[in-house]
Amino acid sequence: MNNPIKPVIAEAVGSPSPRGTMARSRDILNFTSKYAMFGVLIVLIIIATMLYPAFLNPANLGNILTQNSAVGLIAIGMTFVIISGGFDLSVGATYALGATLYAGLTIQTGSVFVAGIGALSAGLVVGTVNGLIVSRLNVNPFVATLGTSSIIGGIAYIYSGSSPFIVNDNPAFQDLALARILGVPLPIWILVTAFVVAAFLLAKTNFGRNIYAVGGNFEAAWLTGLRVKGMRSSVYILTGGLAALAGMMDSSRLGVGQADVGAAMALNAIAIVVVGGTSLLGGEGAIWRSAVGLLILATLTNVFYSLNVSQHWQLIAKGLIVVAAVAVDAIVRARSRN
Amino acid sequence: MADQTALALVCSGVSKRFSGKYAVRSVNLSVETGTVHALVGENGAGKSTLLGMISGRLANDEGTISVFGEGLRVASPRDSRQHGLVVVYQELTMVPALTAVQNVFLGQLKSRLGVTSDASMRARFLEICEEFDVHIRPDVPVRELSISQQQIVEIMRGVQANGRILMLDEPSAALAESEREILYRILAKMKKRGTTIVFVSHNLDEVLKLSDHITVMRDSEIVESRARANWDKRSIVRAMVGKDAEIVRRESRPALGEIAVEITDLNLPGALHGISVVARHGEVIGLWGLVGSGRTTFFRSLFGLIPKATGSLKLGGHDVPWPRSVREAISRGIAMVPESRRAALVMGMDSKDNYWIGRRPPIPFLISPNRENPVAARDTTFFGFNSNRIHEAVRNLSGGNQQKILLAKWAGRRPQVFLVDEPTRGIDVGAKVEVLESLTRLAADGAAIIVTSSELEEVLAVSDRLLVFSHGRIVHEFDTASSEYSVEEILKFGFGESEEIV
Repeated sequence: MNNPIKPVIAEAVGSPSPRGTMARSRDILNFTSKYAMFGVLIVLIIIATMLYPAFLNPANLGNILTQNSAVGLIAIGMTFVIISGGFDLSVGATYALGATLYAGLTIQTGSVFVAGIGALSAGLVVGTVNGLIVSRLNVNPFVATLGTSSIIGGIAYIYSGSSPFIVNDNPAFQDLALARILGVPLPIWILVTAFVVAAFLLAKTNFGRNIYAVGGNFEAAWLTGLRVKGMRSSVYILTGGLAALAGMMDSSRLGVGQADVGAAMALNAIAIVVVGGTSLLGGEGAIWRSAVGLLILATLTNVFYSLNVSQHWQLIAKGLIVVAAVAVDAIVRARSRN
Repeated sequence: MADQTALALVCSGVSKRFSGKYAVRSVNLSVETGTVHALVGENGAGKSTLLGMISGRLANDEGTISVFGEGLRVASPRDSRQHGLVVVYQELTMVPALTAVQNVFLGQLKSRLGVTSDASMRARFLEICEEFDVHIRPDVPVRELSISQQQIVEIMRGVQANGRILMLDEPSAALAESEREILYRILAKMKKRGTTIVFVSHNLDEVLKLSDHITVMRDSEIVESRARANWDKRSIVRAMVGKDAEIVRRESRPALGEIAVEITDLNLPGALHGISVVARHGEVIGLWGLVGSGRTTFFRSLFGLIPKATGSLKLGGHDVPWPRSVREAISRGIAMVPESRRAALVMGMDSKDNYWIGRRPPIPFLISPNRENPVAARDTTFFGFNSNRIHEAVRNLSGGNQQKILLAKWAGRRPQVFLVDEPTRGIDVGAKVEVLESLTRLAADGAAIIVTSSELEEVLAVSDRLLVFSHGRIVHEFDTASSEYSVEEILKFGFGESEEIV
């Protein structure tokens, strides 16, 4: 629905359309530019296998997905937020809060279940607060979430007393990250399920269509009678919950929950969304794009590690990729307008 | 063939393609120095694209453009400017937070030794105001000016740039009739100074009044280019659409039904005073008045956009509280198509989804193309939209088609009362006729419609009754079926001069 040309459906509507070969060549152009990132991903995978034949081993692929499941979940939320015309910089802090609470509450209550509910609720509360600040107080989302990010980070530090919670006497704590279903680690199940549900929500439901409308033209959405404030808030709540869940998964994997993690989460999640081709302007984009963006960045990271590229160079490369992706988006946009 | 030196602008064989499709095809155009040249055509005929290439904003794919005998570089706004071309664009290109003076001199600040000189810019601004008899406060941020005042500022910017050729893209579209006089005055003076003027307009009266030469474009090509004396309104329209198209007065009027809406004593301090309107099913009520007379404020109050408004309201015979929000207004059966299409459509979305947003989907919670497509196709077709295009992004559609989608979107909700604000603004003649004609058909189906337009001729053509607004009041009501009124009389009421003159 976010895509102007839908060749298949256009034909299904019936009666011969007056669009000629010119239109068809334009369709092909649109088709290629739409799926260009798929091409990039395939090329990257080919390069990866050439450099590193073990790349396609199930174990390696499993590792890649597991390691990226947390940032993947956050990128899903970020996709919703960005399409709705917003921005969320507080995901890193919420991730840290989720990790800290999950470990801390497990130690304090002895129950992984209670800790999970607590951490998840905290994430939803953070999202609700973000949503209220943005939609009711009309604070620019960039500033609003930068502010709440600092507050949440502070709370996580105070709660943990600035030292990590190490969970070493509760084996159930690590189930969230290490349990396997049908031989596949739980985080991969969670990630894939989240992507499928999110893609369905955004592309196939009225809720999703309203998100596009709010991000595409806020005034029009309001004039048509949508609950614009509620719509705007909902995406932050979703993202808060996903960020907390991401924090829980990572603390479960490490057996540790601490407040000083997640600094790069917001940038990484935004990078995934943008590389996939979702526009920062709002109103356009898709979940499958973020899935492609996630796989591209994950593959790239894996290649870097296999080549022993240092962390610092990786940071530089990631920054360049984000800037390049946004620039390409801007250029394509200017072209299509001309 | 005219003397080469007498030609200010020559386009030869100019073409432009967008994604392989011609937007302008092999255009040859000559504009004589010191004349006013009008470019007319339906939306999408290629006028703005042609202007864009001349100004250097767009690159021409074929052909050459020369100004006073010198060839222009392709796609270089700077080169065009240096050859004396000044363009006033259709969309306002101002910085809202800057003052009128700062906007007029935007990009060409007057400076002394590198320091901007506010005093000299202000002095020049006032000079221009005086010369053209315009009243705009120099130090007010532009965002606080009305749209039409902003348009005047935009034109002043073009004037102060002192070009040899001034090009204007629909300069009067955002201006009320009374304010257009200012524009005409400015253009007349510029012409007297020897400036060559090229302008695009949908207003044929204006074109006939101002131009020395009129060029008509259709389907990306120039179909005719002749001196003013060889044209009349009818022949222009025929050249534009390729056939006769005329706004036909509504002839048969259906029997009116029950009272659909009854508005009594609507007040809004400083804006609306004691407005009372009754509309029946099957009726089209026209509202006419100057910009700022309260027409749009009346609509916005009824649509819940102005919570401070007070009044009593009856819908379908039942007393209901005055709507305080858009959602409330919609739930009571009030629909409004606002004057700005850009504010009301999600441009990146397709027409079908634009039709459906805000409505309850046929299958709760889900998008169901099989159920949604036919409904959107049916209702947009009613307004003359080609339903094969319901999956195209709205931004790729012409203004007329966008308007049809908006009308369909709201009419499709079967409202108790349908408020339509300026449905024909900025759309081409063919679409105008279709839109007006479909509104009368909608009324014949039993809708109660209240419609405004700045074009008196159009409101008269569609309405059963005409309410004239002036200074926030309804000053007179005309029965448009009777012939006991004259346009002059309506204008007098609209301008608030009736008492003195009669």
